[in-house]
Amino acid sequence: MLIDEAVRFLSQIPPFQFLEGPLRRELAQSLTMEFHPKGAVILQQDGPVSDYLQIIQKGMVKITHRPKGGGDEVVVDYRERGETFGLVSLMGGQQRTTIVALQDTVCYLLPKGRFNELVGSHPAITEYLLQFHLTKYLEMTSREIQGKSLFLGSSDHLLFTAQVGEICQRFTTVVEADTTIRETARRMVEERQSAALVVGPSGEPIGILTDSDFRSKVVAEGEPINGPVSRVMSYPVVSVDEKDPCFEVVLKMLQRDIYHVAVTREGAIRGVVTNHDFMVLQGRSPLAFSEDIEHQTTLDGLAPVSRKALSIIGALLREGTRATNITRIISELNDRVVRKVLELAEREFGPPPVPYCWLALGSEGRKEQTFRTDQDNALVYADVSEIQRAKVADYFRRFSVFMRHGLIQCGFEACPANYMASNPDWCQPLSEWKRYFSSWISEPNPEAVLKSLIFFDFRPLHGDGSLAWELREHFGRLIPDYPVFLGFLANMLVKNRPPIGFFGGVAVERSGEHKDGLNLKIKGVAPLVDIARLFALEKGIRHASTLERLEALRGSTSLLADLVDELEYAFEFITLLRVHHQYRQMEAGTPIDNFIRLDTLSSLERQSLKNAFRLILKVQDLVMDRYKAFII
Amino acid sequence: MGLLEWGREKLGWRPSGADVPILDIRFTVLDTELTGLDERRDDIVSIGALHMHGGRIELGNTFKALVNPRAVLDRRTVVIHGITPSQLEEMPVIEGVLASFGEYVAGTVLVGHCLSIDLAFLNRDARRLTGTRFRNVAVDTLSLYGWLRQRHADHPAFATGMPGPGLFDLAAAFEIPVEEAHTAIGDAYVTAQLLQRLLPFLTQAGVRDLSSLRRVGNPKRQMANLIAPDGHTHF
Repeated sequence: MLIDEAVRFLSQIPPFQFLEGPLRRELAQSLTMEFHPKGAVILQQDGPVSDYLQIIQKGMVKITHRPKGGGDEVVVDYRERGETFGLVSLMGGQQRTTIVALQDTVCYLLPKGRFNELVGSHPAITEYLLQFHLTKYLEMTSREIQGKSLFLGSSDHLLFTAQVGEICQRFTTVVEADTTIRETARRMVEERQSAALVVGPSGEPIGILTDSDFRSKVVAEGEPINGPVSRVMSYPVVSVDEKDPCFEVVLKMLQRDIYHVAVTREGAIRGVVTNHDFMVLQGRSPLAFSEDIEHQTTLDGLAPVSRKALSIIGALLREGTRATNITRIISELNDRVVRKVLELAEREFGPPPVPYCWLALGSEGRKEQTFRTDQDNALVYADVSEIQRAKVADYFRRFSVFMRHGLIQCGFEACPANYMASNPDWCQPLSEWKRYFSSWISEPNPEAVLKSLIFFDFRPLHGDGSLAWELREHFGRLIPDYPVFLGFLANMLVKNRPPIGFFGGVAVERSGEHKDGLNLKIKGVAPLVDIARLFALEKGIRHASTLERLEALRGSTSLLADLVDELEYAFEFITLLRVHHQYRQMEAGTPIDNFIRLDTLSSLERQSLKNAFRLILKVQDLVMDRYKAFII
Repeated sequence: MGLLEWGREKLGWRPSGADVPILDIRFTVLDTELTGLDERRDDIVSIGALHMHGGRIELGNTFKALVNPRAVLDRRTVVIHGITPSQLEEMPVIEGVLASFGEYVAGTVLVGHCLSIDLAFLNRDARRLTGTRFRNVAVDTLSLYGWLRQRHADHPAFATGMPGPGLFDLAAAFEIPVEEAHTAIGDAYVTAQLLQRLLPFLTQAGVRDLSSLRRVGNPKRQMANLIAPDGHTHF
């Protein structure tokens, strides 16, 4: 019974709940149970290290740290039932915090030897625990705790938990725009800096100069060294706040294709962070992958890098990164691969005869891809004269076929429904695309509307963005004149009712290959995407991604304005479930699908899913009411 | 190892010059279920025990045994512990159980709530079967409680108002969860947790090693401790 009680407890708390049943029972056998009366000092800073990982069964402890150089004690954390302490001490060989029972506290103690075995056989457990402990530690202000060496070099975790202020180079050379190049170089040498920030009259950063700028712009170009530094600096400088999470800064650097970012505290320059800092921190970062992609000059070189990029998703998931951020990072990396293949295609066939724009469609367009499934793309090019027409069409046809092959090689499967630029239907001049949209909107029929949805979520990925812009303007102008089109969308939307049973339970597949499974994509993601699309098109909102669309609706007069928070949460949650599910399948090497079994969800997850479905039902009722004339 | 040391270790004793701190003591916390309280007529029906090292309860390696009593089960006690005669028919007789229990408790300090009753039956059977008795140091949680109550009369957990509180009264007072009451192992587990709760108070009162613990926890001092009118120590 003692064991049963412990096993029951362990099966409720992460990470032990993830262990297989027999192992959990075996682990329970090695536990001891200790009682710490209120006020007891369980572990003392600089005292003996812990020989146990302590798992709180009841009560609460307070963890404090007294900085080495003196100063006030800092409260690091409070821990309660289901949480653990003693890990860092157990692994690091030094007790760096004081742990006091705030209430009468009962702990299960996992002995060091058993813990080490577990670490060996189940790395995920350690990762979870490290993550848990590290996150808490990194929130500390204590200077000493920020020393990264403390954490066994497990720096992988830091990118997603640390704030950029913690890793930026604190002291940086700051010069004014009219400082000479020579003076700047002298100051950098003196101050042992590899970069200098150039600031404007009121101290705002306007540019940056790095060691490599000296090589490439000063020496190689023969720039006179008595000239002002503003002639050779890189600009503009992107600034981030010291409190921004590293991971968001990386995302920003990826998007803008920059390698240095100024870090500010309340607007004042605090230092510089470089992609090198992140690489050092991370070893293998999204940024590193992106660089790898950039450096490839052949399809053969690009393909393996592109396929490998998926491996970072596991790290992102384990870091507890928000699901929609994960899908953004995936999109960001995928975009890079696509752009790179486009570059290769342009090299292969020579410069395009007229401007074109490569469009990402559907989930790719919305930046909501989970794992790479297939290609959804199209190509629009500038209108040409009748004489040139055949030749230009031929260029883009060959170009698009090359793209399809190249992307397949890089791990993007061909679209089974043939929504690809290599399909001549979807590789057309602007005027033809306008005609497509006109016909979809002005003469809608259910089948055509269903087929066209993917195009309403397009996003220009490469090339002449004005072509895409013009197309969007075109259909934006049309929609208000043809309410029947939105009526069709509404009608389609309300037909896909969430599977909530009569008694409020979630209904699942009754038979077939996915018996007891629930298709998250069709029943969860699609309704939310459809809702956001309908209301965005209705209000003339130009964004393609679901979260951006919802966000834009927030301040509007839309029916949805008050539901934005709930919808965003529901979307975030279902996306996370889906990403986790697919990642597990990928790791297990099984085919990736969207069928989730309800019995694998925790009761909290089931509840959240039910709430999401109820929300969808509610919005569908609103839609039915608003578009009742069109609901068939 | 000389005979003396060997004997001491077997019995859980150490040379008096090197007293064992409480945190290093190995305890066996035990409980027995009986057919009744009459030593001449009644028998043990089950033994449950677990090990503690200092204040730490070891979850693995518990001792659980049902015993086939020679005495007929009293209908009234069946109601309390829920062991039916037919269940017992399958069970081993006391000889085998006592031998393995002897191994289990070797070198440990015995702990129980109203331990003298359990010990009386255990020793009766041991004497009958082997001619010896359990000579381990014995500590009674009720004796400890009574002794502490005189020093902490103001503390809510010691203000039960009962002259001789039962195990479950104390479990309630110390907020110890009770799941399987009246099974031997379940009660032993509650007793172990009670000892855990008492140890900090004992440390505070200066009871830090085996010799002082066995003095204040002496099963025979139960009543003396509980009713002692003054506050003076019984060392």
